Amino acid sequence: MHHAYIDKFAYQDSSIHRLDARVKFIITVVFTAVVISLPRTSVSILFCYAVGPFVVLVMGGIPLRFVLKHILYVSPFVLVLAFTGPWYDRTAAAVAFGPWIWHTTVGWLRCWSILGKFVVTMLALIALISTTRFANLLAGLQRLGMPRLLVIQMGFLYRYIFLLIDSAHHILRARAARSAGGVAFGRGVKFAAAMVGSLFVRSIDTAEHINAAMQARGFDGNWRTINRLEVRVADYVFIVIAACFIVGLYFFVKPVLG
Amino acid sequence: MHMANELLSVPVATGTLAIAAGGLGLICRKVSKIVSSDKLPLMGILGAFIFAAQMVNFQFPAMPGTSGHMVGAVLLAIILGPHLAAIVISSVIIVQCLIFQDGGLLALGCNIINMGLVPSYVGYFLYKMVTAGQSSSRRIYIGAMLACLVALESGAVLVPVEATLSGVLAVPFSTFLVTMVGVHFLVGLVEGLITVAVLGYIQQVRPDLVLDSLPGKIRLSRKTVLVTLLVFAMIAAAGLSLLASKMPDGLEWSYRERPDQPGFKPVITNENTTIEAVDQLQSKYTPLPDYTLRGASAETSKGWTSFAGVSGSLLTMLAVWAGMSLMRRKEAKAMSGS
Amino acid sequence: MVKAIKVENFSYKYPDGTIALNGVTLDVEYGECLALIGPNGAGKSTLLLAITGFVRGTGRVVIDGLEITNGNLKQVRSRIGCCLENPEDQLFMPTLFDDVAFGPLNMGLDSQQVKERVNLALAEVGLAGMAERAPHHLSAGQKRAAAIATVLSMSPKIITLDEPDGSLDPRNRNNLVKLLAGLSQTLVIATCNMDFAAAVADEAAVIDGGRVIAAGPAKKIMSDSKLMTSHGLEVPR
Repeated sequence: MHHAYIDKFAYQDSSIHRLDARVKFIITVVFTAVVISLPRTSVSILFCYAVGPFVVLVMGGIPLRFVLKHILYVSPFVLVLAFTGPWYDRTAAAVAFGPWIWHTTVGWLRCWSILGKFVVTMLALIALISTTRFANLLAGLQRLGMPRLLVIQMGFLYRYIFLLIDSAHHILRARAARSAGGVAFGRGVKFAAAMVGSLFVRSIDTAEHINAAMQARGFDGNWRTINRLEVRVADYVFIVIAACFIVGLYFFVKPVLG
Repeated sequence: MHMANELLSVPVATGTLAIAAGGLGLICRKVSKIVSSDKLPLMGILGAFIFAAQMVNFQFPAMPGTSGHMVGAVLLAIILGPHLAAIVISSVIIVQCLIFQDGGLLALGCNIINMGLVPSYVGYFLYKMVTAGQSSSRRIYIGAMLACLVALESGAVLVPVEATLSGVLAVPFSTFLVTMVGVHFLVGLVEGLITVAVLGYIQQVRPDLVLDSLPGKIRLSRKTVLVTLLVFAMIAAAGLSLLASKMPDGLEWSYRERPDQPGFKPVITNENTTIEAVDQLQSKYTPLPDYTLRGASAETSKGWTSFAGVSGSLLTMLAVWAGMSLMRRKEAKAMSGS
Repeated sequence: MVKAIKVENFSYKYPDGTIALNGVTLDVEYGECLALIGPNGAGKSTLLLAITGFVRGTGRVVIDGLEITNGNLKQVRSRIGCCLENPEDQLFMPTLFDDVAFGPLNMGLDSQQVKERVNLALAEVGLAGMAERAPHHLSAGQKRAAAIATVLSMSPKIITLDEPDGSLDPRNRNNLVKLLAGLSQTLVIATCNMDFAAAVADEAAVIDGGRVIAAGPAKKIMSDSKLMTSHGLEVPR
């Protein structure tokens, strides 16, 4: 399954993978905030910002073609909204690039800016997720203040997502095998409801079994965990480099490029 | 329907993140006190269930190629109550962002509010209000349908609000609002039908699971579906004609696009003065790029710096990539050679 | 002499009235490996639930000298670990480490002790070094081994396993046989597979219709073809 690859990449090893989850998360958030705070018509500087996540991805050994395909996969909504730019904003504008000058509209600039920002922030998010094991990310989020209930619940969610999605695939395949000629709307709704309903009941049953397993291993209502995160020298180095990169571009390059 | 970072401004993103985090924190604290820890695996699994449920689709009657699927927020709210549903759906949204990159990091606040918090509570309270202990099938049906429709519409309405407050998009508020409301009208219908059907299925197979949530028997007969579709079609038709009649010369905004007059400067009218004020504020504080309507000579130096910036970045990326590939190849050779 | 497990005239009825176990009496010695064999629906799984305290009926169940009551379930479960039929239900944490550490943590051990127990348990089942893996990335055989590790880390005296060989291919089944043979704990294994039972068990008990039909040395019981076939089983090869 396509999405499962991102999860698998997190289990590779590299200097990026070994960085602390909290550090990577905070840097990703700050980076994203800075990028989206850039003026709504800036395009050139986005290329400069793109270097950051790009380097992280390459050093983490994440295949770039996969990343780009993935970004395309999640872009439809943003694409539609980005293209409302040229549709609604027809203020004329002239753009100089190298020896050429284009006459276009501010709407198009806004469009490219939105798309560019989308690609750059997506690169950063994918860089974070494909180099951090979800369990570590959850542990990091808990240390950063996420409510315990939510963290525990998301642990279960993550553990069983792929199982449930596989079940859904099986059920869908069974339906496809049985309704080769197409189904009327009403029947279609009834089928869909039965599938969703059976997934629901199955979920409840699995939850009951898990509870039994937890009790069998002595669970008494207190959730106990071991701390597994620690910030190392490499993390501090990464923080310094990232900070210089983000801030440096903002204060020195942005005023020049606009 | 997931918002992306780039459609928001930093103030709106931080504001919504704060509201969402605060809200979730409150709910979690409340829930930890009243819910026993054996519900934890259930909540996690139901989160996974929502993912799976959203994959189950079915064909629309008159539109080949389009299929619908359920969101699941109201279903959970009806069965589990609003607090647990809010937590479960919010966790799904967070995981959708983190693992599947659906929706941006900074848009999490908006997405959690729009698709998690609002639908859970609005849906639950509307359902409870309408069914109010009555056990007739019709009441329950109407309650569930209405709950789904209003819950999804409430969330959908917030999207244009957040977008316009941010000022990044050029779409006028009214257009965006009408589009979202219109689209989610259909989505709400689909959600309602499936929710009712699923509740009926569960009631048949495991009545103990829905004993507290369904005061009576829930039924989805063909007649009910047809009547519902008819009602929705009528409302949709009424809505569309209302839209058309408001603009006597056709929709005001269709006059923007005048391809026969290239120099035509559009007037983006916006009846809402607050939105206009925000927009003006935005343009005052975000420095406009220097490259609008200036002479070519003033631009050339700017043009070369842009060129330098872009090409420099691309070259850097290429260098890094090439360097790492070489290093990896060397490593691989060393490992296989030794 | 204290037995590892002592079941005295135990009976249990389902909520709808069906009799699941009818006056079961059974003894298991320390260090023994007992196979519960019988047709589907015979009550093997229910019996396992009874000796792990999940199902409470009439009669006595004494585990390691401790009689099961409503109040001492946690103590009982520190002495007898159970492996459920589906390893997916038993591996519910995001990483293997968390799963195997779950039991020891609930026993109140400190993090150093827990880490040691986890590494030992994983090594014992042949999964050393895989502590950071996520359960959904494991193969079927690995999941089964991991499920056993989650129980081993609690150092119980007795372990019950419900159809542990289910959906395992021959190679994984052989690995499982070797694994179980290497364990020193008292084992009670419910299984429908006679070859598997013959390979691991010292003693066998035939369960049918909620009753213990026959119990004794595995070889003797399972070579009695009349006994086997009259209860829907077969003589192992």
